[in-house]
Amino acid sequence: MSLSKKKKLKRVILTVVMLLIALVYIYPVFLMFINSVKPFGEVVLDVIALPSKIEWANYTYVIDKMQYGKLFMNNVIITAIGISGIVIFSSLSAYILSRRRSRYTKIAHLLITTPMLIPFQTIMITLLKVMGVLNLSGSKIGLGIQYWGFGIPMAAFIYCNFMSTIPKEIDESALIDGAGTLRTFRSIIFPLLKSVTFTVIVLDVMWIWNDFLLPLLMVNSSNETKTLVLAAYTFVGQFNTQWHYAMTAMVLAVLPSIIIFILLQKYIVEGVVAGAVKG
Amino acid sequence: MGRKKKEKIENVVFTIPALILVTVTIYIPFVMSGYYSLTEWNGIAKEAKFVGLKNFKTLFSGSSDFIKSLTFTGKYTILFMIFANVLALAIAVALVQKIRTANLMRGMFFIPYIMSMTIVGFIWKFIFSQGFAKLYEMSSLEFLNWSWLGDAKLAFYAVVFVGVWQSLGFYIVLYIAGLQAVPTDVLEAATVDGATSWKRFFRVTLPLLGPSVTTCIFMSLTNAVKVFDIILALTKGGPGGATYSATLDIYREAFQNNNYGLGSAKSLVFFVLVLVITQVVLKSMNSREVDL
Repeated sequence: MSLSKKKKLKRVILTVVMLLIALVYIYPVFLMFINSVKPFGEVVLDVIALPSKIEWANYTYVIDKMQYGKLFMNNVIITAIGISGIVIFSSLSAYILSRRRSRYTKIAHLLITTPMLIPFQTIMITLLKVMGVLNLSGSKIGLGIQYWGFGIPMAAFIYCNFMSTIPKEIDESALIDGAGTLRTFRSIIFPLLKSVTFTVIVLDVMWIWNDFLLPLLMVNSSNETKTLVLAAYTFVGQFNTQWHYAMTAMVLAVLPSIIIFILLQKYIVEGVVAGAVKG
Repeated sequence: MGRKKKEKIENVVFTIPALILVTVTIYIPFVMSGYYSLTEWNGIAKEAKFVGLKNFKTLFSGSSDFIKSLTFTGKYTILFMIFANVLALAIAVALVQKIRTANLMRGMFFIPYIMSMTIVGFIWKFIFSQGFAKLYEMSSLEFLNWSWLGDAKLAFYAVVFVGVWQSLGFYIVLYIAGLQAVPTDVLEAATVDGATSWKRFFRVTLPLLGPSVTTCIFMSLTNAVKVFDIILALTKGGPGGATYSATLDIYREAFQNNNYGLGSAKSLVFFVLVLVITQVVLKSMNSREVDL
């Protein structure tokens, strides 16, 4: 056999082996999907087999029982509030922190980025008390605002790193042309930060959308404020023997992320890589 | 108003929202944890009772659950770091071999990472109980019949396995990015010099992959020490408290046992340990990187 043929064969074998590994790897997710559309009897009888018919009744039941529409909107609201604040406040502060060198900015830089070193679990006990006093616990808006504080250190750090790659002359010439600092930031710097903003959004949407512990502490008491993951957690706890409903609730909880990922795979992976390398 | 003064005011105005937010959500609770760690407080009583260093003495006394949970977290972290990095690197190396459908496969490995860890825990709880039982019926492979979540030792490995399964895709994409940045001319030069593919990988690619390895090791460390959601969904710390991680133990102490003082003390010790370990690892990794 010639060398190139041998190489080709090797590549085909590698492809097949990797494809098999990937399929086995993702099989649990597939299993969750197929069991979510089985009648209860079939789940009990055989979890592996494909459903004999698609049982959409599981979905109508769970969507209604969980009040899925409301939960979904809660997630959207909390994530949107969280993201917008993180992006605005960290880019705004990173602009000043990386452009102006004074004692104040040095200290501010340190104070803003150091909390990256503090694990959330170290402060969660007393956080509950502080947020109770400030009236920020138990509400969607309050939870969204808390994400500002937890998201800013990392986001500001990433923004600061990127700011140093934007030539100073660009904003200096805008200032000479008479634009104020805020104006320069808004119409010149912020647009140039687009790729970083994108990275920050990808990382923080994934984090806030799927976050569990902070919502558990802050908004778990009422159905009005629960997030998708929290509701799924409660639901699976209640229906822990009725696996067909539990599976349906789990699918409903992760489906938005999976759809978004399939549509935006390239960008999401890019954002995650950029975030990890810069962070 | 002078320009200097205006700049000073601007500096404050632009950074003050971030400073206030970080202070309120992180620094104030942090300082309060320091205070409460010296008290006995059940969360309901108006006044916390000052007890000095008693909580810390309790923590480090022989029978403490905390030591047990720290040991669990340490073992979990080591295994997680090894498996996540070795497997991710191996898969990444395979996926950069210009094979077809590589992007599709990358996506398949990445999907668990975008799912909530709580749900991932539940999926595997289902598989360990229902799925394995059925697979055992079909294949009679003995390990499928083991009590993966009911036996303390096995439950530990189950937690590690699910943890790695959830986040492997993340490390795979980081290693792929790193591998793609390795200059091909250096690899070709090595081939010309007669290096076999194994040699090429260990002598050329791996050393040049330094920054990616550092990032992945560091990220796997910081993620592993905080493991929480997966365990809560998969085992709830059981069987018999065998799979309590440090974070889960802090949560239990504060919100289930209502010992806010003791919980705060645990959380501070946890903070110091994590800080020291991450800094040591980061320092030793950085000194080992190779430049071209």
